[in-house]
Amino acid sequence: MRRLAKRLVVAMQAGALLALLAAPARASICDVPPELVDSPVPLEATARGLRRGVLRVLVVGSASVFGPGGSGPDAAWPGQFATRLREGWPGLRVELEVRGARGMMADEMLAMILAVTTPRPHLVVWQAGSVEAARGQDTDWLARRLNTGLEALRERGIDAVLMDQQFSRFMRANSDVDSYRDALRMAGSVHGAALLQRYAMMQHWAESERIDIERTPRERRVAATDQLHACLGRALARLVLDGAADAGAPSPDNAQRPGPPQSDAAPRP
Amino acid sequence: MEGSLATQQATRPAAAPKRERDLRADLFRGLALWFIFIDHVPGNWLANLTIRNVTLCDATEVFVLLAGYAAGIAYGGTLLREGWLFAAAQVVRRVGSLYVAHIVLFVMFTAQVGYSAAALQDSIYIDELHLDAFGQEPYRALLEALLLRFQPAFLNILPLYIVLLLQFALTLPLLRRPRLLLAISCALYGVTRWFSLELPSWTGGGWFFNPFAWQVLFCVGLTLGYRAPGGPGPLLVLPWWRSLGALAVAWLIVTFVLLYMTWHRPEYAVQVPGWVMSWWENVDKTALHPFRLVSVLALTYLLAHWVRPEARWLRGAAAWPFVLMGKQGLPVFCSGILFAFFARLALEYSDDAPMQIGANLAGLASLVAVGWLSDWYKKRERTPRREADPALAERAA
Repeated sequence: MRRLAKRLVVAMQAGALLALLAAPARASICDVPPELVDSPVPLEATARGLRRGVLRVLVVGSASVFGPGGSGPDAAWPGQFATRLREGWPGLRVELEVRGARGMMADEMLAMILAVTTPRPHLVVWQAGSVEAARGQDTDWLARRLNTGLEALRERGIDAVLMDQQFSRFMRANSDVDSYRDALRMAGSVHGAALLQRYAMMQHWAESERIDIERTPRERRVAATDQLHACLGRALARLVLDGAADAGAPSPDNAQRPGPPQSDAAPRP
Repeated sequence: MEGSLATQQATRPAAAPKRERDLRADLFRGLALWFIFIDHVPGNWLANLTIRNVTLCDATEVFVLLAGYAAGIAYGGTLLREGWLFAAAQVVRRVGSLYVAHIVLFVMFTAQVGYSAAALQDSIYIDELHLDAFGQEPYRALLEALLLRFQPAFLNILPLYIVLLLQFALTLPLLRRPRLLLAISCALYGVTRWFSLELPSWTGGGWFFNPFAWQVLFCVGLTLGYRAPGGPGPLLVLPWWRSLGALAVAWLIVTFVLLYMTWHRPEYAVQVPGWVMSWWENVDKTALHPFRLVSVLALTYLLAHWVRPEARWLRGAAAWPFVLMGKQGLPVFCSGILFAFFARLALEYSDDAPMQIGANLAGLASLVAVGWLSDWYKKRERTPRREADPALAERAA
């Protein structure tokens, strides 16, 4: 009897250990292919903010910043992003400001970005290019505004993360979305701003049948939208924390971050 | 990309006054038309293989240059035989059919967008997109579309082409004075870029492709295509200089490296010097940035030299479908926009491997079929009398 009990305990311990080992390997809904997230851009100001324990973030974008179709503004990706940051960095105070409106284009967003006052944000997350793509605005128009905004942010020492369009089969069939994605990608890379590849991530989730709002029945759509925003917030938090770690902020989990040898993180003059 | 005859003609003595068709121009035009089809289908896997991935310019530049080239041949001949008014009338007739094609495509696209949007109405997900501009202000949208001020996605090359041909109808006689034509064209290009002139669009900003800038490429094509009466070559000849060729190669390599570092692997962009980046960020497609212009001209110069017009592979089976498409550029172009529309719908339904392969095969096959059919029809149209007459004669006998 005692032997049996002893065996049982060992088996349970082994099981627990196995479960522990298996846990990180089990696919989470939010997982994305590594090439979508593994190219961090150093975020100097964010690293500074993290070290001081206060991070001021300005989010500018069109409708999606308020999470339409979800259960409420807190469930939208900016709020989820802040929550993940606090989780990854216990004790951090995240001062989040979200600005934007449905149908807003880059010119109005640019005005908001140029109007930032003290205390300056450490980080601006700029979700752009959706409305331009839908309306067929010329891509040069968009690129000029992105360039102006990103340049201004760099001059003021504020980090920038761009976020591209949502993936939607309807939109892909009816608008030249790739040209606008390219414009964002180009502007980001030229100005050393990170790009959250929302389109590619959402396409991955849709194609792997994890989150596919366009094909989710209406009664489950609110939950699916919340799930989408939670995953986006998580991805954004990872991008930002990786970028901060790249700029010298200690990694929150003190883990060795795999990746290519770090280039010198000095921003271009 | 393609066949400027300039270099070739410079080395070949004036032999036959009867001009042989340059298959290189047809081949590259056919390829450009195929690439335009591919690039008009977002999510198409083949889009990673078109020339925009390796050079600054893309199929649009190639198409416009070769459209000018073809126009120089076709209407240049009419100008010589029948005079300006007749040739201009012919150009305007062509503009008319392009305009009708554009409006038909517009109606089809709009109907489809409206239908799909209604089907997805309960999804707030696409709420912010309101792609359906027509649904919001139908009468205004219709009017703006007729005025070419409202150009839905993928319907922006035809309006450019229309304006280019209208400009051409006015400047036809300048074909005989290529230096003057190019001088005026470059001046307009410079003024357009310097003062940011543009044609207004209803949705704000300018046209997706600014015709006042893009005309410069069309005019270069015109100059390459036009032949003086009795003369075998173009009036302006740019001979092959090895140093210029080397410069063109160097340019294409440098731009490829920059493209690779900023576009394919943005993480390397940090290593590009700041002053290069400040140039690079301003390369726009809307008003044909000089870098793009230089890229397409460099490519043309090299290909015109390296691909010989008498090359046997140009008459081979692999080149055949593209040469055929290039010969019938206009119908193939218009139907290509339509086929791309169907391919987009197919990929909206599903974009797994079988659908990708199926849509691309069907698209290419349809383009070739249109090319073949137009070619066959035109040949038949040209030769009916000879065949008909003996029959009539027999019956009468």
